[in-house]
Amino acid sequence: MIDRTVHIEAPPEIVYRYFTDPARMARWLGPAQLDPRVGGTLRAALDRGPTIEGRYVELTPYERIVFTFGWRPTPGAPDLPPDSSRVEITLTPTATGTTLRLRHTGLPDDLNDRTDAGWAGFLAALAAAVATTGQPRGRPYP
Amino acid sequence: VDAVLHAVADPTRRRILTLTRDGERSAGDIATRFPTISRPAVSQHLRVLTQAGLLDMRRSGNRRFYRLRAEGFAEAAGFLDAMWSARLDLLKTEAEAEAGRT
Repeated sequence: MIDRTVHIEAPPEIVYRYFTDPARMARWLGPAQLDPRVGGTLRAALDRGPTIEGRYVELTPYERIVFTFGWRPTPGAPDLPPDSSRVEITLTPTATGTTLRLRHTGLPDDLNDRTDAGWAGFLAALAAAVATTGQPRGRPYP
Repeated sequence: VDAVLHAVADPTRRRILTLTRDGERSAGDIATRFPTISRPAVSQHLRVLTQAGLLDMRRSGNRRFYRLRAEGFAEAAGFLDAMWSARLDLLKTEAEAEAGRT
């Protein structure tokens, strides 16, 4: 279970679109194909990493988005089939913006059983996760 | 999580993780795999990985042996947690930039 909260100085109306608009999702996850309705596909390719694949389960505008989460089964991708886990996003307006809470449940908790291919994908995904972030904008990662 | 992210951000360190995954290797053995990198630089990479909890180090005489510590990733709450943390930071930056523009 992953449970993270981040405060964003932007209203929920803006933040919500980063989960439903492909152009906006591309700016934080990667090139995306989205069909933002219940049962619709969500797909985002991490740069130099595997592709996230899932389906929207719930969309309550500006408040809540739930989608299933897995890695597209490609060579080197970590073994986490689409639909195998679940991500729940809740947006709560605050005086200055939005509190975003992300909960990711249904994950396997053991990395030790990974195959070599899974391991390579795991490292690639981790590297992709930090490739564009981890440091304030404009400064290269050390 | 930050130490793990920093540790894996470097391609040489990722190669060391892959090398040590299937069993223990000596520092000297690891260094020979990186002929273009100086010994002290390799030692520094090994130190970063050990301090991040991703490698176990064992001394035998004056030699050092390293082995991948896969649970180091799990203890850092898993790489997906690290991924979400990094990506949500980016989402925050982007959404705030957009809010500033409107």
